[in-house]
Amino acid sequence: MAAVAAVVSIGGRPSWSVRGARIALVVAAVTVLAWLLVLPLLAIFAEAFRQGVAFFLDAIRQPDTLAAVRLTLTVAAIAVPVNLVFGLAAAWAMTHFHFRGKALLGALIDLPFSVSPVVAGMMLILVFGKYGWFGSWLEAHGWQVIFALPGLVLATVFVTLPFVARELIPLMQAQGSEQEEAALTLGANGWQIFFRVTLPRVRWALLYGVLLCNARAMGEFGAVYVVSGHLRGLTNTLPLQVDQLYEENFSAAFAVASLLALLTLVTLGVKRVLEWRHGEVLHADH
Amino acid sequence: MGIEISRLRRQFGSFIALDDVSLDIADGEFVAVLGPSGSGKTSLLRILAGLDQPDLGSVQRDGQDLLALDARRRGVGLVFQHYALFPHMTVAQNVAFGLRVRPWRLRPKASAIKASVEALLHRVELDAFASRYPAQLSGGQRQRVALARALAIEPRLLLLDEPFGALDAQVRVNLRRWLREFHRSLGITTLFVTHDQDEALEMADRVVVMNRGRIEQIGTPEQIYHQPATAFVSRFIARGQPLPGEVAGSSLHVLGHAWQLDGFSSTDIHTVAVHVRPEHIVPATRHGEGLAACLLSLRHVAGTVRAGLQVEGMDEPLEAEWSERDWSRHSVGVGEPIDVHFQSLSVFGMDREGRVRARTDCHPPYSASPIAIGPWRRLGA
Repeated sequence: MAAVAAVVSIGGRPSWSVRGARIALVVAAVTVLAWLLVLPLLAIFAEAFRQGVAFFLDAIRQPDTLAAVRLTLTVAAIAVPVNLVFGLAAAWAMTHFHFRGKALLGALIDLPFSVSPVVAGMMLILVFGKYGWFGSWLEAHGWQVIFALPGLVLATVFVTLPFVARELIPLMQAQGSEQEEAALTLGANGWQIFFRVTLPRVRWALLYGVLLCNARAMGEFGAVYVVSGHLRGLTNTLPLQVDQLYEENFSAAFAVASLLALLTLVTLGVKRVLEWRHGEVLHADH
Repeated sequence: MGIEISRLRRQFGSFIALDDVSLDIADGEFVAVLGPSGSGKTSLLRILAGLDQPDLGSVQRDGQDLLALDARRRGVGLVFQHYALFPHMTVAQNVAFGLRVRPWRLRPKASAIKASVEALLHRVELDAFASRYPAQLSGGQRQRVALARALAIEPRLLLLDEPFGALDAQVRVNLRRWLREFHRSLGITTLFVTHDQDEALEMADRVVVMNRGRIEQIGTPEQIYHQPATAFVSRFIARGQPLPGEVAGSSLHVLGHAWQLDGFSSTDIHTVAVHVRPEHIVPATRHGEGLAACLLSLRHVAGTVRAGLQVEGMDEPLEAEWSERDWSRHSVGVGEPIDVHFQSLSVFGMDREGRVRARTDCHPPYSASPIAIGPWRRLGA
């Protein structure tokens, strides 16, 4: 603790002991990151291409894998816009209105972060499953939720619920509502205020939130595992496909996993660019 | 006609922001609402702009109920203390906003919008800045953009919230003069809110002094300054300093002196406040003429001398203000005794609820010759 305090508080030319502490801390952090994050990530790509590029392409071109890619994209294409709208609405409500139960709403938004994804999946089965509360009603109307696309989407929406809202709320809180009020006195209506004043001010934070939301939506395993039923080519998303392949074909599993890892890298890259170009508007008030 | 505000009340929980506030504003008038923070002046402004609704009371404009109109249809221009410019729009886009968001039937043509934006930017002397962003402007320039943006909708009432609050002293003084001239050339009814008495007294046709949600006094700057209606106005505007004093019959007793008090009816009076202004505490010309005091401090500020005085019999020191020229005839140093004389005292009599029931000025008689001879030094000290 003393070393950390010294590094933080002393300006100008640091003394030898301070410099030593700084080097030690940096080395420790880089070592941990390298062992826990960088090496495993490299290992995935190494394993994926170990039997050659042709094998890699073959593994990916399997019909079941392609179906999993399609399903993952479909689920994300529904879940992300839903959470985009929900996040904007929740953030707006939390920052512009005073109402009863505001604290409760804030806690509920955070709930998916604190609930284990497996429990989230189980809850969906309890409610929509065959022997769940709405199960017989849904079955009578010919709708299948669990072990089908709707269940996957619900599970994904639940798990990724906080991402957009949590990104927007602090920013909108810091910005206050003066500009919206100014727009109102200038004669703008609600939609004009939203699209011309509010949205442009939060657009980068919104994009950032959507990016994180999307990465999680495509990579979610636990909740989706419970409600999917693992029907190969039908209800297997990419992470589930990786899990199944892992039992049978080690290298093919890594080839498919490398697709997910690639998604991570792309997300990280775009996130970094966003932070670099719009760092001030992402977090600080204007 | 103009605007008639009557009996407004606004309460937030147990905090009363506005308490029975009534005010008439004539067409074209320039009115300042002056008060410390928390006095309710911003609440009044927000209600007039339509950003808040009062619990009780009414606001009429030319006989029309203003409160029934939504903020966006009120035709009220509001300039925020921190400008609230749209950071992602250029200066020209900011100014054009109010015209561009009109329903298409009422929206001017693009060329007409461009022309009026140019005209407005010319008015506020920012022609060359049309394509800049707010972040690239100084505080004073942003203030003028906010003003132009509010004026673009041709408001019938202009509201300014602490218009100079966020600016540094030099810019503030220049912009004050500029805004006064601007109002004169425009003639638009304007209400501005400030906590700075210099600003209010220098700029406004009329000043409304507010405290704790109530209007303490409405009057011209001269009236407010020379005849403060309440002890609060006296303290806040004229820097009146409380003296220990009481009224018995028709005489005022202060620090062992008794003076005749005219025009002060003491019925219903519960408490009495006696105030003296810094400029009304003058050095006595002869020893033994006034009240004994000790000179605690001396500061020279822009042509005046501010002296801290410990008057015998008082706990709190008093501040006196003299011109450099007058003070140059005296040669009392800090820490030395000095005799002072009160030229004028303001006396306020309040009832049990704290309402002022009687007020008058007292001019203690002073026998010294009008021509002071100096340099003067108290003898036998």
